[in-house]
Amino acid sequence: MKLNHAMKDALKIVGKGGSVVHLTTCSLEGIPNTVGERFITVFNDEYILIADMFAQKTRVNLNENPIGVITLAHPVKGRTWSFKGPATILQEGLPSDYEFEGVKASEILKEWGNWAEKEPPSEVPPDIRPPVLVQRGVITLKVTEITDYSPENAGNPINTAI
Amino acid sequence: MAKLTPRQKNWLEGTGAHIGTASKNGVPTVIVVDKATMVDDSTVKFILSPKQIQLVVKNLNENPRASLGPGGIGSIRAAYQFKGKSFIIGNELFVEIEEIYSTKPGPEAGLRLDNLAYNDVLKFEASRWADDGPPR
Repeated sequence: MKLNHAMKDALKIVGKGGSVVHLTTCSLEGIPNTVGERFITVFNDEYILIADMFAQKTRVNLNENPIGVITLAHPVKGRTWSFKGPATILQEGLPSDYEFEGVKASEILKEWGNWAEKEPPSEVPPDIRPPVLVQRGVITLKVTEITDYSPENAGNPINTAI
Repeated sequence: MAKLTPRQKNWLEGTGAHIGTASKNGVPTVIVVDKATMVDDSTVKFILSPKQIQLVVKNLNENPRASLGPGGIGSIRAAYQFKGKSFIIGNELFVEIEEIYSTKPGPEAGLRLDNLAYNDVLKFEASRWADDGPPR
């Protein structure tokens, strides 16, 4: 489903007015894994992309159970959205015509395969900035469900026309 | 269970967590609570709204596993992930933490901390962060 303007504004790096997010995946046996991610963007209005900086457990989980949830963490400013959908990691070496959920891996990797060059993390404080940005691929989630995570409306579907 | 350091406790209590749950066949659902209370060195408690309970109670009844990522500014400053078993009593969610990981970007992402000696974890934290919790 397509994201609205407010969501696309939120799903950017913090330096461009966006938010840090948490990405939750889980093993096939149901052991969840929740990690903060700061290199994030929206592609073609309905895919959320995150730089894969060697997210080990995330990769193992997505390889056996390709579904994820992305929740905005900070700053939130009322943007209490939870995005769920099929997810995978796209990286160089896939067949040239490889597609995931209707999008070509080559298109995503061409634009976002070198995140450090496209969006250098200049706004990240030195004590939490990785010494070298090493990207392995692009975590790609196609949004199929958007819900509210605020305590009073937890689980309610969000109308993207707002 | 895993013993949390003062810094880990302060961040969890001060900023709450994004709480990952999953059905027994691996479909995740996340709730977010912005404060928490440590019950002891390894158990954290969250107050849930009726809607939050409704959202995760089925998952937790069939699969008690939960993952916690610190919320708010903790998502940036408190680079930890906590995992454990959870249960609901009344409107409270308890998580008994069994595993603690560093999520600090770079070579220490995914480093398991609860397997280290407790004093070594304290040294690890002191050498990497200047704070002992969220701003007061």
